[in-house]
Amino acid sequence: MKPAKGKDQVFSRHLAGKTASEHLSQFNELLADLMGSSEGKPEVLDDTTVVEISHANFPALISASLLGEFGAEVIKVEPPEGDPAREASPYGVNIKGIGIPFLMESRNKQHITLDLKTEKGIENLKKLISQADVVIDGMNPGFLDSLGVGYRHCIKLKSDLVYLAVSPYGHFTSKSKAFSNIPDTDLTAQSESGYPSLTGNPEAPEPYNYPVKAGVWAASYMAAGLAVSGALTALLYKRRTGVGQMVDIASYDAISAWQCYSIIWGVHFKKPRVRVGNFDWSIFPYGYYEAKDGYVTIAAGSDQDFRGLLKILNRWDLENDWRFVFDRITDDVDKLKALEAEFKKELAKYTRKQLVQKTLAFNKKAVKDKLRGQGFPIAVETLSPREVLNEEHWKIRKSFTEVEVGGATIKMPSSVPKLSDTPLRLKKIEAGLGMHNKLVYEKFGLEE
Amino acid sequence: MNQDYFTYTDKLFSQSELSEKPEALKGIRVLDFAHIIYGSVISKWLALFGAEVIKIEEPYEGDFWRTASYWAKYWKDSSPFFQCLHPNKHFVGIDLKTEKGKELVLDIAKKSDVIVENYRAGLMEAWGIGYTTVSKINPKIIYISCSGYGQWGPLRFFPSWDLIAQSMSGVAQLTGFGDKQTYKLPDYYGDFLPGIFGAMGVLGALNQREKTGKGQFIDVTQVEVLFRMMHQWSYMDLTGEDLLCTGNVDPSMAPSGIFKTKDEKFISIAIATDDQFVALMKAMDRMDLSGDPRFREAFERLKPENADEICGVVDTWAQSKQESEIIGLAQELGFPAALVMDDFQIVNDEWRKERGSVIDFEDDMYGKGTWPGTAVALEKTPNRIKSMQRPIGYHNHYVLQKVLNFSKEQIRELEKDHIIGYWGNSIGHRPPVYYEMSNDPIINFTEGEEK
Repeated sequence: MKPAKGKDQVFSRHLAGKTASEHLSQFNELLADLMGSSEGKPEVLDDTTVVEISHANFPALISASLLGEFGAEVIKVEPPEGDPAREASPYGVNIKGIGIPFLMESRNKQHITLDLKTEKGIENLKKLISQADVVIDGMNPGFLDSLGVGYRHCIKLKSDLVYLAVSPYGHFTSKSKAFSNIPDTDLTAQSESGYPSLTGNPEAPEPYNYPVKAGVWAASYMAAGLAVSGALTALLYKRRTGVGQMVDIASYDAISAWQCYSIIWGVHFKKPRVRVGNFDWSIFPYGYYEAKDGYVTIAAGSDQDFRGLLKILNRWDLENDWRFVFDRITDDVDKLKALEAEFKKELAKYTRKQLVQKTLAFNKKAVKDKLRGQGFPIAVETLSPREVLNEEHWKIRKSFTEVEVGGATIKMPSSVPKLSDTPLRLKKIEAGLGMHNKLVYEKFGLEE
Repeated sequence: MNQDYFTYTDKLFSQSELSEKPEALKGIRVLDFAHIIYGSVISKWLALFGAEVIKIEEPYEGDFWRTASYWAKYWKDSSPFFQCLHPNKHFVGIDLKTEKGKELVLDIAKKSDVIVENYRAGLMEAWGIGYTTVSKINPKIIYISCSGYGQWGPLRFFPSWDLIAQSMSGVAQLTGFGDKQTYKLPDYYGDFLPGIFGAMGVLGALNQREKTGKGQFIDVTQVEVLFRMMHQWSYMDLTGEDLLCTGNVDPSMAPSGIFKTKDEKFISIAIATDDQFVALMKAMDRMDLSGDPRFREAFERLKPENADEICGVVDTWAQSKQESEIIGLAQELGFPAALVMDDFQIVNDEWRKERGSVIDFEDDMYGKGTWPGTAVALEKTPNRIKSMQRPIGYHNHYVLQKVLNFSKEQIRELEKDHIIGYWGNSIGHRPPVYYEMSNDPIINFTEGEEK
């Protein structure tokens, strides 16, 4: 890790000047010192053992993976035939029978098999749990309970256990009971959270006018982030009081509850939002636009930002009619389309690079304005993942890690966020079915 | 032990006993410089679970998000979209452009456990209230800086929004039907996901501090958190191919998609395992396909040509069924299917209220309202809402007396010198019109006069 070489591009008057530079150079030194290397640094959860029992449940897999990155000893328990999550992968691409999502979320884990259909399997699991600090239950709600290893049984084995239940509808309420048989997937979780209802263009021909799902596992990762935050909150409480507890996450509710907006809209407008294509509900412009040679992303939220953009595009003539943010909102989509058409016309005249450069040049001057009255519109190239990999910045920050898996070396995103004293780490991916049986069985005294 | 599992869990998580349960983060003080969404949701998590959050705003100006409301509609002169990010927080107005204002926040920083900020990278440092300064006066501090690109590297000063981060991470090209119909992830996903990952970092650091007594610095970036959730990096590496928009098909699940039912509803179905596939074929009365070598095993089924084929079969079937029939079959046979819900259905879903992710709450200032909680329920230390938004500076007297032991005279001096300040009369800032601020116990708070 090292700070940028040469002169930084600064877009704030607060960051210019002698005092600011002095402060920043001190900061750079400190960062180089703090964030330089993970070597020899401790791990938050080096005192924590996590047992993950899950079946085709990615929010649970990811949660365990994140706890593993925090330094926990994570033992994933699978049936002899393996967790079918191993086989969910884009177009079936795999390394030795293991798909990409499963590999990606096997960070630092140990994989063992236990046959929970047998008495011995259950006894072994009990033995394991009695030595664990966290149990992740990613099975159908009530399933482990029916085997005699649910939360109420586990706390008899380990009184201060944190029991993290990860399921579509959660482990309590009547709906959870009625739907306990429904498995998790990202797409169905997005749907129950209302997420696809917000994306798409109802005027396109069928089926392109349907609600559109997010093209990433938006629900699974949101659920995992929330689940791990819940588990760490419970672990902190346990450290302070000695008291463990059950933590329950409903992955089908993750986006709708945390992103707030659906709930607020439903309460205050008494009706759902409709899909508005490339528009945002509160700001314009805030979307993707076609330049001469590809797409650019434009964000100009405030009135000043909007005016700045008009100046950049030489369209001050539009200013009078569209001056206020209230003029530019989507309660009247047809009206806004007229403005968008003007923008599209102008933006198509330039290449992506030209638009980015024009905007940056404008902003560099504008930030000298004391009242920030010139605005700060932003234009960036709408990058594809492949283009992202060319960016020097991410190389300097080591945002990607090359990991050895089954003889091959593949690229994976590094651990986030970055903690100075207890950095999260991606230490290994060893995801072969049962490949840690010997090690774990011995360590925890399980019967072969 | 013979009690039904759900009867048992219902009791564990019962909402009726919520106020008698302890708070996990009680006693943790958070100094919050966050604004708009990204940093604000970190302090929101901490506040929901009992931390004392002190939100610092510039007098009169305040958080830009106070005035941001969809369709310019306000509720009791406030933006509900700002309200929902700021439950249980304390609102203090301090002018950070003055030396005295900086001293004041450093004094509070000395007595705080966590600092959250999401200004442009380096800005807090330039102002002299960054980690280099605070860590010297308070080695226990956990300081999280939220930015688009991080605190070091050539892009660090480049501005970011949720949407800009989506573009800089490559997420931008993954949703929709391809080049001419590509969409952003709605509702500021690029703020909310990095926000919860930031909260995760803070909670990790709090756990560490419990062991060592030492704080640390956290660098969380929108773009890198979005990287963390993408399968594209490994996919490109393994195949040499791009993986961009795939419409409503999840390329890791076959069949999968959003389908229209006979009663014109949208329903999603996604099959993750071979067992689920058999269950779906049973539901469709197409057991003949369950043994088909093209579909029987996941890696075969996921091949584009086979996935297309089986998605088409499901599409035709879904069109012949009512939504409720399909959900009923999913419940009975165990395959993933869900109605594509909308905003209004979500709010009126009793399930969410029972879980505490939609919360009815009566606030002293704003009265009855319905607000979002979280999808996470903690049995013994549940999250809860105790208050909603307050105007800028509402807690000035309260915080300065409680935290810094200032006298009323000292506070009046700060007011006179415009070091601390209050709200302006604009919409989004002022209290509700009916509210009698002069009788308010907090705005006129005097230590020792508490009931």
